[in-house]
Order: sequence, then structure tokens, then C-alpha cells
Amino acid sequence: MNIQRRGQAGTMQSSDLMVIVEPAEALAIEIESTVKKQFEHLIRARIEAVLARHGAERLRVSINDRGALDYAIEARLTTALQRAGGLS
Amino acid sequence: MIMQLTSRPDIAAARALIEHNGLRFEPAFDALYGVHDDGELIAVGARAGNVLKMLTVAAARRGGSLLGEVVSALVADGLNAGCATLFIYTKPALAHSFEALHFTPLAACAEAVWLEFGHGLRHWLAAQQTLRRPGANGALFLDSLTLAEAAARQIPVAAQRVDHLYVFVAGDAAWNELLPLARQASRGVGNAVVVDGGPYRNGEAVPGYFLPADAPLARLRAELDATVYAAHLAPFFGIVRHFANGEPDCTHAILAAHGIQPAAIPSANRSTSRGGNR
Repeated sequence: MNIQRRGQAGTMQSSDLMVIVEPAEALAIEIESTVKKQFEHLIRARIEAVLARHGAERLRVSINDRGALDYAIEARLTTALQRAGGLS
Repeated sequence: MIMQLTSRPDIAAARALIEHNGLRFEPAFDALYGVHDDGELIAVGARAGNVLKMLTVAAARRGGSLLGEVVSALVADGLNAGCATLFIYTKPALAHSFEALHFTPLAACAEAVWLEFGHGLRHWLAAQQTLRRPGANGALFLDSLTLAEAAARQIPVAAQRVDHLYVFVAGDAAWNELLPLARQASRGVGNAVVVDGGPYRNGEAVPGYFLPADAPLARLRAELDATVYAAHLAPFFGIVRHFANGEPDCTHAILAAHGIQPAAIPSANRSTSRGGNR
């Protein structure tokens, strides 16, 4: 699955996150989070799981997290991928 | 709930909120968003091009999620509008509020801080990797139509004085008029490299809403642009000499502090007679 354009979802309010995906040569995941020290590895794992499920490899994912839970991460990323034309 | 403000009463309320909080309302914007509570406007912010501005939260409502709500709406609006990156200019004392929302400081002076959403500068530099050249390099900017033709004529002369000369093309006229001019002037100059200057010479877009009415906006704009150039672009491209093209004198000290020697663009006739000494 390749995305065709930039897609964005979410907000920077507490307990939410903003996800931006854009086409790239290879997969790159950037995470900024209020709980980065404690939970970056878990956020990354969740992102990678969603991307793997959709076969998304050539994109940059920028995460601006304000303490979102797993289900929010998954929902926001899926929406951003849809808006980027990567999911039918 | 946040919403776009388009009606006259909403815009008037936004102006009142902004001015009541010691800021100035600037009517030039592409989008204006606000949050109401019980009919009262309690938070507002605007986007003008790639700049978010006039971000204001009513004093009694600060400390919660309102700023994040407004910034989120403006960022989403800007991305949907096709902005490659988004900036905020604010007072130094308030920069931390935006850093908490994942804005990265790019440059600062006594009166203002320039912040960018995310890490656009890092990505932009990475995208320029193939244009990097070794050596003690120089640069000049073509970003003003009035000065561009004269500057373009000096590209071959300036290029004699450095290992490689970067010709940065920036500004509103960059693509239609300046880029062809830069390419034509650089043709046959083996060590000249034309670079899309990207969004990091943004001075004309710096808003003044948070500054006193008599603030030296032109100097401030030039200083912020020069700082980003000197601190980030120049080291990446190995630039040690900058051929001035109408930049104000206040930028010279900034360049010098970063090891960049300001130089006047040499006159073609004079330089030819001196053999293009470096």
C-alpha cells in the first residue's frame, strides 16, 4: 500500500495525538510525546503494527502525542492513512 | 467546540478578545478559528499563509486545553491548504507554550522567537543532500525582483571567489521569475549550484501583532532570517562567505558570529580587472 498525498488526523489536546503521514522513499517514524521517555517504544510498536497490517512501507509518520491511549493511536493513524489515499 | 469564524460579529468578537489581551488584530488572514463557551468567545487564532498568529486565550480560561485546541485546528487547516510547513512567531517568554505543542524553535532575537511545527527544517535539509558540495563555499540570495537581475549578473564573478557558489532562490516570485533567471545566469558557471531556498527566508510573513506598534519589524525580520540561515543552512552547505544582496547591515554581525564572512557582491567590471581574486 502506498499513500498518494499527505494525510492528517487528530488534535494536540490532552489524551489525544496528531498524526501526519506523507509519502517518502522509505519508512520513517518520528515520535514527539509528553510521555516519550516512558512510552516511546510502546507507541512505536503500535504504529508499526498498524502500518504492517496495511502493508504501508514508503511513508513518513509524524506523531505528536499528548498521552493518547492505544485505541486512539490506532484510530488516528488509520484515519490519516485513509485521508492520504492509502486505504480504500 | 472550535469552529471557523467567518461572520462579522464573530470577527468583531475575535478582534475584541485579541486587543483586550494586549495584542493587535491583523485583518489579513486565510482562516480564523475560535472557541465559544455559553456564547462567549474564549479562544481564537488565525492562519495567514504558513504563519499561525493572533493566538489568544481569555485570561480566565488559560491553563487548560484551549490553546492546543486552537493550534490543532489551525495546523490541520494549514496542512489541508497545502502548506509545506507552519510557523509561529511569538514573544520569547511564550515560546514554551508552543514547544509543548511540538513546535521547534528555529531562531530568536530580543523581541521574538520563530518556531516551526515539527521538524520541517531537518527534513528540508535532508532533501537537499544531493546539492551539498565540499570546500569553502559562498552563497547569494535571489529573493527580490528589484535586485535579482543585478545580482544574477554577478553570479559568475562571485563564483570565482569561492569553491562553490550556492544561489538560493526564495520569495513569492521564486518559481515563475527568479528560478529561470538564476538558472540562466548560472549556466556555464561550473561551480554554481541553484537551490530552492525553501520556506526558511520568511521575513516578509513575520507578523507584528505581538509587538509594540513602533517595533523595528524590518530589523527583526532580517535578524530572524539571518539566524536560521547562519545557524542551520550555512553549516549544512559549508558556506563561509555570504554575498550580500540588499540585506540590512544588522545581519552582518549574526553572520560573522557564525563564521560567515559578509561580502559585497563584486562589480563585474572591477572584479574582472582584479582577476577575480578570492
